[in-house]
Amino acid sequence: MAALAALPCAGQEMGAASFEAEIRPLLVRHCQGCHNETNRSSGLSLASRAALAAGGNRGPGFDWIVKAVKHEDGLKMPPGRQLPPDDVAKLERWVAAGGLWPKLGPESGPESGPASGSAGRASAKRRNHWTFQTPVRPNEPNPANARWARTAIDRFVLARLEKEQLPPSPEAGKLTLLRRVHLDHTGLPPTPAEIDHFLNDPAPDAYEKAVDRLLASPHYGERQARHWLDQARYADSDGGSRDEPRHIWKYREWVIEALNRDLPFDRFVIEQLAGDLLPGATPEQMIATGFHRNSLLQIEAGTDREQYRVEAVADRVDATGTTLLGLSTGCARCHDHKYDPISQKEYYQLFAFFNNLDEYGPELPPFSATNDLNVTHAPLLALGPPADVAKWQALQAQLLALYQERFAYRGGESDELPKGDAGEKIRTETINALKKQLPTNLTFAMVMRERRQPRPAHVLLGGDYLRKGIAVEPGVPAAFPPAAGTVRNRLDLARWITSEKNPLFARVAVNRQWQRFFGTGLVETENDFGTQGAAPSHPELLDWLATEFIRLGWSQKQLQRLIVTSAAYRQEARQRADLAQRDPNNRLLGRQTRLRLDAEIVRDNALAASGLLQAKLGGPSVYPPQPEGVMETGQVKQLWRTSQGEDRYRRGLYTFHYRITPNPSMKVFDGANGLTPCTRRPRTNTPLQSLTLLNDPNFHEMAQALARRVAAAADPLAEAYRLTAGRLPTARERERLRRLHAVERDAFATKPEEAEALAGKGAGPELAAWTTVARVLLNTDEFITRE
Amino acid sequence: MSLSLARRHFLSLSSLGLARVALADLLEPRQPHFPAKAKSIIYLFMEGGPSQLDLYQHKPKLTAMDGQLTPPSLLAGKKFAFMERMAAPKLYGTKREFRQHGQSGHWFSSLLPRLAGQADDLAFIHSMKTVNVNHSPAMIAAHTGAMAPGRPSLGAWLLYGLGAETKDLPAFVAMSSGPRGPRNGNDIWGSGFLPTHYQGVPFLNAKSPIFHLQSPAGVTRERQQRAVEAIADLNRERLAETGDEEIATRIASYEMAFRMQASAPDLMDLSGESQATLALYGATPGKPGFATNCLLARRLVERGVRCVQVYHTDWDHHNGIEGRLDQMCPEVDRASAALLADLKQRGLLDQTLVVWGGEFGRTPMAEGAAKSAGRNHLIDGYSVWLAGGGVRAGASVGATDELGFQSVKDPVNVHDLHATILHQFGFDHKRLTYRVQGRDFRLTDVEGDPVRALLG
Repeated sequence: MAALAALPCAGQEMGAASFEAEIRPLLVRHCQGCHNETNRSSGLSLASRAALAAGGNRGPGFDWIVKAVKHEDGLKMPPGRQLPPDDVAKLERWVAAGGLWPKLGPESGPESGPASGSAGRASAKRRNHWTFQTPVRPNEPNPANARWARTAIDRFVLARLEKEQLPPSPEAGKLTLLRRVHLDHTGLPPTPAEIDHFLNDPAPDAYEKAVDRLLASPHYGERQARHWLDQARYADSDGGSRDEPRHIWKYREWVIEALNRDLPFDRFVIEQLAGDLLPGATPEQMIATGFHRNSLLQIEAGTDREQYRVEAVADRVDATGTTLLGLSTGCARCHDHKYDPISQKEYYQLFAFFNNLDEYGPELPPFSATNDLNVTHAPLLALGPPADVAKWQALQAQLLALYQERFAYRGGESDELPKGDAGEKIRTETINALKKQLPTNLTFAMVMRERRQPRPAHVLLGGDYLRKGIAVEPGVPAAFPPAAGTVRNRLDLARWITSEKNPLFARVAVNRQWQRFFGTGLVETENDFGTQGAAPSHPELLDWLATEFIRLGWSQKQLQRLIVTSAAYRQEARQRADLAQRDPNNRLLGRQTRLRLDAEIVRDNALAASGLLQAKLGGPSVYPPQPEGVMETGQVKQLWRTSQGEDRYRRGLYTFHYRITPNPSMKVFDGANGLTPCTRRPRTNTPLQSLTLLNDPNFHEMAQALARRVAAAADPLAEAYRLTAGRLPTARERERLRRLHAVERDAFATKPEEAEALAGKGAGPELAAWTTVARVLLNTDEFITRE
Repeated sequence: MSLSLARRHFLSLSSLGLARVALADLLEPRQPHFPAKAKSIIYLFMEGGPSQLDLYQHKPKLTAMDGQLTPPSLLAGKKFAFMERMAAPKLYGTKREFRQHGQSGHWFSSLLPRLAGQADDLAFIHSMKTVNVNHSPAMIAAHTGAMAPGRPSLGAWLLYGLGAETKDLPAFVAMSSGPRGPRNGNDIWGSGFLPTHYQGVPFLNAKSPIFHLQSPAGVTRERQQRAVEAIADLNRERLAETGDEEIATRIASYEMAFRMQASAPDLMDLSGESQATLALYGATPGKPGFATNCLLARRLVERGVRCVQVYHTDWDHHNGIEGRLDQMCPEVDRASAALLADLKQRGLLDQTLVVWGGEFGRTPMAEGAAKSAGRNHLIDGYSVWLAGGGVRAGASVGATDELGFQSVKDPVNVHDLHATILHQFGFDHKRLTYRVQGRDFRLTDVEGDPVRALLG
């Protein structure tokens, strides 16, 4: 009782007895369920006086506990209810009296402050969830029908099917298989020449040779890039209410190129998270960091920029968690995660890694008169002839000085320029003159760059950027295996995430690869590997693939080759009565699955079939024709300069994506919106999709071109089928379209003006009739489906 | 497998689930939690933030103190947009005459005579609060409950809960008039993490209101029909071959698209409306604008459309508020009142919930020079009204202090408003959930209580 005697109020109205009688029961009953040494909700334990005094994320506990129970300052404890006024009064008196906490016995708990690390915070159950255990390579099973298996994958799949006494499906027909693997790897259909070559290749490994050819195709990177860009929430505009265009296409180009050269996946991620921090970072490695410049930027007049800077940092934490770890961290922004072992403090330790970047131009008013793309979206990397880059940088520095002068002169942010002021007039003229001198031959890329002056990070109470709690240092959640060394910056974080010991990184990656080829991942909840996520359909296969991915040196191409050469992948997709009944969602993989093509690939296939496709790789985004009125569905009518020439016919992934006013043909086919990471696209099936394929002038132009391409052939219909479905028509299909062709030809013969309107100038009834047939083929379900 | 075998195969499949698809109801509803009062909603969204102090809230004390410096105690700790302009603001009393109307005694200014005439159909909330002083986050909050983009909008939640009742029009439509498009455009009628077919479809003020509605040149209605029939036949072949029930849905989608090509222009064609109706709204056929949009909203709910968002984007009155109110209120007053009257006389008001309000309101302090004064954004006490859809007509909830700075009685936040709206559609907002990344999300996040006084 020595400590007691030192307290001024000892022995007055709050003696040991009253603490035990009044306060401790209250703490036990209402508080310690969450605020104990194990859980430390919001970093706070109420197990001892010292723990309370040390406090949690919000700071010293004695400053807060009364406010919390009185529901003041935005605090509401206990959650969902309020203590009776009597109890509140008791607690208030106790705190006012010095918070006497006599030690009576061991049950009072250790008199310790909050643990310095996060050890012990996550409950054992959450920590022990399978996904937090490093995968161990399982033995390959020995199914009875081992002859069916072509790869280790098949032994796992077959063993599971045999357990259910279900046979796998036969291999798909050669043409189906060829079209399938083309669409999955390059997103483009096989050409008639490729079809012939494949059919005439008697080699037993003809299919494997086709796969290798596809993996080496430059179009491989385009298709695979779009999958990654979905996760990277890539878009060409800011996403705020003004939705200004931004300089980011170089990042897309980097992704395409990195995938084409099969940059190992760990390296692929490290360069995107922290390419700027690599020793001797190359411009390409800088461009890679565009990954985390894909955050939204809000430049509405009158906003507090700090709020949106904080939003962007939170976006980076969420995108890192969702994309690379398959975990939602967002829950922990306001409170400890309810399901997964991420405390609020740990969330802000992750936040700290991304807190040292600038969102806007260096301390510039972000809008209106100064809303110059080159300064708003700093830091920008300028690319071009060195002399011009140097000139640009020098002019930027002068402009910056003028902007800052103007900013100081106006005394704050404003979207209105003072009018008729001589100094401001000169300044404006100088700015305009300097801008005219800016080199126009440069390309820009938004990149990450650390601030020279580190910005301290804090827990933000309730996620509110204005309410700072305790300061935090960068760190990684305790539920994961610890990092090899210290983890201070983004590069350390990237190395820790991509470590072979990280239990989630490889699993999440192989699961999302699997999803590309089967429609659903082995873990169906591809964005949630936490305790609430779905159990894997084939847990051992998942872990085998994860370890195999590492063994293959993180080669995505080799991993994909392994998957597409499996017997499981090669099965036909046809529904079977037994499977429909016993496994309607095909989780056991007794067959393949028909998958509607992604928005961009629908366009790409129509372009390819029509012969209009321009195969140019990379470069800035393009503006294919789109309906009047699209750009008016947002606050600011941004420019859409319809592309002419070859840029009209580029692949879908190059279509300029405004987040607020997206291209409608992409939107109706479930194109990613770029607002948040998209780890799996929905595949809806709606009348608006039908209207798009029937009436979008782009598709109509492609139908016209397809008709011209086949009309002169000996067998136009056979040619059209090879181009659109990669096969020949059946007798019934032939008969149905012959009928349509005849009816249309006769109708056009009586109305030649309709033939010209439909099929273009100079078109006669024959070509117009083929155009209607081409329209039909571009609208079939088969055409927009990978079978 | 031969075709005939596949056929039989397909027949055996239909007993397993194809019947469900064949209903062609692409939006399957959930079971409501209690009987719904409303079937459709028309949200007249006054973007920019209308001044409750010049329209609905009578503040004689503010008028009396007009021109005086604002007591600093009222400003302490408050955040405003354009903080730098709010250094020493003066109070700004309304220049409008206020009167009480109807049995309900709702106050209206002289700017809204026609709505005042329908006072007893309206239920007011005078104590609305939202989360952020800037348009963009407040807009997103008003529509999705969250400040950051990417969550499903109210309309998407309603479709998710109730499904669609129309087969030849989109079930969720967004229309706009004013000097610009609505802030955050497609995000505020988006579906967020809900499947994308729950998202709103922007309707243009044009003969062909939906993108890609019109057939290409040379494609007559008959030719389109022949094409759609041929597509259906080929799709049926493929369905028999593969047994994939998605193809049945695809066939239904094409039938709906073909019908939509007729029904949407029919919807836009106002020639069947009587002169009296057109005059009531102040609508002129072929002339886009708020009046036409209100009339179209009625035509949409008449055809079973679930959710209609009608944006008027000209309410951000930072300066020259008097002139601008004079300019725009007559049109808005007339068309809003006409919509109520029209719905009522057609017996549609009971099942159609009409909501009128913005993302926030406006300050009791003036902004800018006295002769062209405006008002800044106010998030602590603005007004929204509801009508129809089973809401208690004539009710009035909440109040702000006598100067109109903040809600002092029964504050209602956006979550509460959303919970109230869902309630009228038969849903307990806490139980209408969708699981994403291991968490059951809802429109109201972790907050919200229906405003009991409004529930009829």
